[in-house]
Amino acid sequence: MPINWTWDPFEEFERIRAELDRLLEWASPVRSIRGEEIYPRINVGESAEEVLVYIFAPGVDPGKVELSLEGNVLSVSGERDSEAELGVKEVRPERFLRQERFSGKFSRVLTLPESVDPEKVEAEYRNGIILVRIGKKAERRARKIEVKTS
Amino acid sequence: MAERQELAPRQEGRPERTPRRRAMSPPVDVYETDEGLILLADMPGVTPESLEVKVEDNVLHLRGEIAEAPGEEVRPEYVEVRGREYYRAFTLGPEFDQEKIEATLKHGVLRLFIPKVESERPRRIEIKTVQ
Repeated sequence: MPINWTWDPFEEFERIRAELDRLLEWASPVRSIRGEEIYPRINVGESAEEVLVYIFAPGVDPGKVELSLEGNVLSVSGERDSEAELGVKEVRPERFLRQERFSGKFSRVLTLPESVDPEKVEAEYRNGIILVRIGKKAERRARKIEVKTS
Repeated sequence: MAERQELAPRQEGRPERTPRRRAMSPPVDVYETDEGLILLADMPGVTPESLEVKVEDNVLHLRGEIAEAPGEEVRPEYVEVRGREYYRAFTLGPEFDQEKIEATLKHGVLRLFIPKVESERPRRIEIKTVQ
């Protein structure tokens, strides 16, 4: 592009930013940078009393998900058949116009904070998210330290 | 994977100048039957109340929000899902009956059935045998 007085460098930056955003948008929410999908995606949060693990596993049969906690290592594995929801008797591969959803076996392992108490675990599957709540060991909970005045 | 004009991801116009809060783009499967298209979209966390499916100017809009999010007392430790909103749009061709789209949601998977208008369905031609 020839540089002249009507050239607006900010517009050019804006254009490049928008292009990059588009590329990243294509890449990030569905796939990792190298192109493969991450399934299930996982978020971990921590409150004063417990550790919460959100496993984004849409369309799985909860009975076929294996979840275990050993010490502070949480493992989740299972299988998802992405074609089950089609509700079609005989699935013909050539009839797919798009196929982006994960299908097959999955397995993920993650290390949780050391404060978790493996005895206090509960998990529920709702709207495609497995929420695992793990209590913390009493002695590991943040203690409020009182400052005494003399 | 075949690209089809009628269900191509919607082309954006000029780049937006004011960056919007970016929604997550759900992965989809699109499957064609003689009667229409079946579209499956992974939208974990979305409930019937937080889901919006609408067709406007031949564009199918899918929008949803993760209904239950951790409260303020929960500090994020590790995050792969950023944001609460899902959004994706597709252009629908004239061969689909926009009035009769059926939507169901189960375990975070949205299933849409987009029927073809009657005249676009393949007709079975009966072959008679002449004795």
